Amino acid sequence: ARGLLINQNSRSSFTADEEFDELCFEFGLELDEITSEKDIISKEKGEEKAKGASDVVLYKIDVPANRYDLLCLEGLVRGLQVFKERINLPRFEKIIPAEGEGQRLVITEQTAQIRPHAVAAVLRNITFTKDRYDSFIDLQEKLHQNICRRRALVAIGTHDLDTITGPFTFTAKAPSEIKFKPLNQSKEYTASQIMDLYRTDSHLRHYLHLIENKPRYPVIYDSNGVVLSMPPIINGDHTKISLNTRNVFIECTGTDITKAKIVLDIIVTMFSEYCEKPFTVEAVEVVYPNGKTHIYPELAYRTEKVKPEYINKKVGISETPSNLAKLLTRMCLKSHVTGNGNHLEVEIPPTRADIIHACDIVEDAAIAYGYNNIQMVIPKTYTIANQLPLNKLTELLRLDLAAAGFTEALTFALCSQEDIADKLGMDISATNAVLIANPKTTEFQVARTTLLPGLLKTIAANRKMPLPLKLFEISDIVVKDPNTDVGARNYRHLCAIYYNKSPGFEIIHGLLDRVMQVLEVPPNEENGYTIKAAEGTAFFPGRCAEVFAKGQSIGKLGVVHPDVITKFELTMPCSVLEINIEPFM
Amino acid sequence: FTEMRTDNFVESSFWNFDALFQPQQHPARDQHDTFFLLDPAEAPQLPPGYSTKVKKVHSQGGYGSQGYRYEWKVEEARKNLLRTHTTSASARALFQLARQEKFTPVKYFSIDRVFRNESLDATHLAEFHQVEGVVADRGLTLGHLMGTLRQFFTKLGISQLRFKPAYNPYTEPSMEVFSYHEGLKKWVEVGNSGVFRP
Repeated sequence: ARGLLINQNSRSSFTADEEFDELCFEFGLELDEITSEKDIISKEKGEEKAKGASDVVLYKIDVPANRYDLLCLEGLVRGLQVFKERINLPRFEKIIPAEGEGQRLVITEQTAQIRPHAVAAVLRNITFTKDRYDSFIDLQEKLHQNICRRRALVAIGTHDLDTITGPFTFTAKAPSEIKFKPLNQSKEYTASQIMDLYRTDSHLRHYLHLIENKPRYPVIYDSNGVVLSMPPIINGDHTKISLNTRNVFIECTGTDITKAKIVLDIIVTMFSEYCEKPFTVEAVEVVYPNGKTHIYPELAYRTEKVKPEYINKKVGISETPSNLAKLLTRMCLKSHVTGNGNHLEVEIPPTRADIIHACDIVEDAAIAYGYNNIQMVIPKTYTIANQLPLNKLTELLRLDLAAAGFTEALTFALCSQEDIADKLGMDISATNAVLIANPKTTEFQVARTTLLPGLLKTIAANRKMPLPLKLFEISDIVVKDPNTDVGARNYRHLCAIYYNKSPGFEIIHGLLDRVMQVLEVPPNEENGYTIKAAEGTAFFPGRCAEVFAKGQSIGKLGVVHPDVITKFELTMPCSVLEINIEPFM
Repeated sequence: FTEMRTDNFVESSFWNFDALFQPQQHPARDQHDTFFLLDPAEAPQLPPGYSTKVKKVHSQGGYGSQGYRYEWKVEEARKNLLRTHTTSASARALFQLARQEKFTPVKYFSIDRVFRNESLDATHLAEFHQVEGVVADRGLTLGHLMGTLRQFFTKLGISQLRFKPAYNPYTEPSMEVFSYHEGLKKWVEVGNSGVFRP
C-alpha cells in the first residue's frame, strides 16, 4: 500500500468524515489518518517550525499496491465517483496527428546496452493550477517509487513542448560528451560533473548507480541539440514545466517495455482531464534503430468475456447478469450482457493494468456488491486433522519441563556472529551457520545454531530476579545442510539452564534424566541413552559430557566456562543442557 | 485443520515469492524488506517441472492469465532468504497435495516464525509469528472464506468483524479482516486473507 494525501475540499461531494471513511473501506482503500500540514511538520520538526503552516485537513489514504490508477487525486476521485454512480468513466481518446505534423522520438542503437526502451506522448493545451501541477509531479514520484522500481525499470520525464523542437533523439553518449544545465541549476555541467554534483543530494544520489559506471549515459535531445533529460537522473532546466505551460511532452525510458507503456498510460489518462479537449492524448511516433515505428501511448481498451455464473459461483452470490454488468461498470469495467443473456462482455480500460485474469474481474464484482453483504457459510467437507508429530512432542516436553520447575523463554532466532562463535570460544567457520547478507545491525548477522546464547542473554536481562534462575526453551536452530533443497535446515533443540551461586550440574543432569524418563528412553547404552565425558569450548574443562541416544550424539551438558559467563555479562556460575529432540519422534 | 510442516526458516525466493506470483522486480523483494542470505546464498534445487511452469506464468501468462510479461530469471528465484511469511510453507503443502494421485479436500494450518528486515520500534520486530490457515476443496466461494474466518475469530473472542478489499499477489479476491477494539474505540486490522489465484 502507499499513502496519498488529499485535502478535504476534494472530497466535498461526499458529506461527512464517517461517510468518506465508510466509502473508502468498501472500495478497498484504507483511510489511514486525518491530519494537516501543520500536524505533519509539528510531528517531524516540533511545534515552533509548524507555525504558519496550513491547517487544511488532509486525508492520508493507503492505496493497494497494484492500483496505479488510484495514486493521484484525479484518479482516486474519478474511481470513487464512478463507484458511486455519479459519473461514467470518461473515454480516453488517442489523437493521431496528420502525416508530418506529429512529434517523433528516434531511438538509436547505442541505448540498447543501457536503457533500450522509450515511449512518449503529448498533452495538448493543458491548463495547470498550482494544485494540478503539484499532483502531476507527485504522481511521477509515486510511480517512480513503486512500478518503476526506484527508476531502475522506468524513468519519467515531462517537458514544456513549446521550449523544444522535434524530432527528438534518444541515444547514449560518453559522460564527457554530454553537457547541459540540469533542472534548477544556474550553469551547465558535463554528465560526469553532474554525478559529482548530486552525490550528496538526499533524493537523487540513490539513482546515480543506475548509470554511473557505464561507458555511455542515456540522453534525449531535441533537433537543435537541447537536452530534454538524462534518464534516470535529471531533466534539463530548459524544458522545465511551469504553471503557464500549455503543451507537455512526456517520455518514459527504461529496461521494461511493459511497465513503460503502463506508466505512460497512467500519466496521460490521469492528466488529460485538464486538456482543452479533455481525455484526449496526442500520439507520438517512436522510431526504432531497425527503422520500425510504433505509435504511443497504447491506450488500449480490450474486451474479456466472462460467464455470469462463474462470478456468482466464485463469490457465493446469485446476481442476475444485468446486475453483475452494473456492478462491474461501477468499478470502471464497463460491461453489458450478450449472447443469450448468459455472457458478459467486460471492457478493460487502459487505467486497469491490474486486470490480468478473470479472477480480477470476480474481485471487482464482489467489491461493488459489497464484501460485507455476502452471506458467510462454512465449507461443507469434513476433514480429520492431525498435529505435526514434532510439535506434539514439543508441546508435551514443554509441560514436563515447566513441571520440573523451569521457566520457558522465547528468544530471537537471529543474533550476532559473536553470540554463537567468539563468545562461546569458537570460530564462526566451525559453526556451520547460516549468514545473513544485509543485516541492519549486528544483532541480525546470523541465524542461531544453538539456543544457549539466547538463554544467557535472557538471564543477563533478568539479573535482578531472585536466584536460582532456571530457564528452558524448545525451539528451532538453523544450520547449513547441502542435502536439502535450499541448502539449510532447522533442528528442534531443547535447551535448559540453571544459574545460581553454585553451578548445579546435578540439577541439569537430573533434568536430562527426567526428560529421558518421560520420553521412555532407558538409561543404558544398547537401546537407550548414555553420557560420556567430553570437551567443549563453551564448557568448564572436566565438567562436560556428551549425550548419546538412538545411535547418535544428540547434544551436551555441563558447567558453562567462566569466560563464556563473563562475555555474556553474567557473574554467577551456571550449567546447561542442550539436545536435539528430533530423533525421539 | 491439519498442521503443516514449517521446519525451514531458510527459504528460496522461489517458494517465498515466485510460486506465489510475486513478480521478481517487486519492491518487497528488495534488500530493504527481506533478509537475504550470504551463505548459503542460493538454493541448490528447485522443483524442475514446476519451476518451468512458474517461469511461464510470470513471463507469458497461462491458466487464463496474461501474466506479468517480463523476463523471469532463475537466478533471482534461487536467492535464499529468511521467509517473510508462512505462506511459502502453504505453497509447498499445496504442491504436495497437487501431486497426489486423487484430489482430497484438505484443511491445513501452521503457526510459526517469520522474518522481516525492518527497523525495530514499539510495534515492529524483525521476527514474529504468523498463524495461517488453508482450505482446499471444490466449489469454495468468498462466502466460505468469510464464514471460516468468522468462526476462527469468534473462538478467539473477536466477533465484531468487517471485511475490506485488499491486495496480495497470490490471492484474488483478497480481504483484510477488521475487528472493533473496545479499548481503542476503533476498527483495527486483525488478519489478511484471500482466494488463491487460479
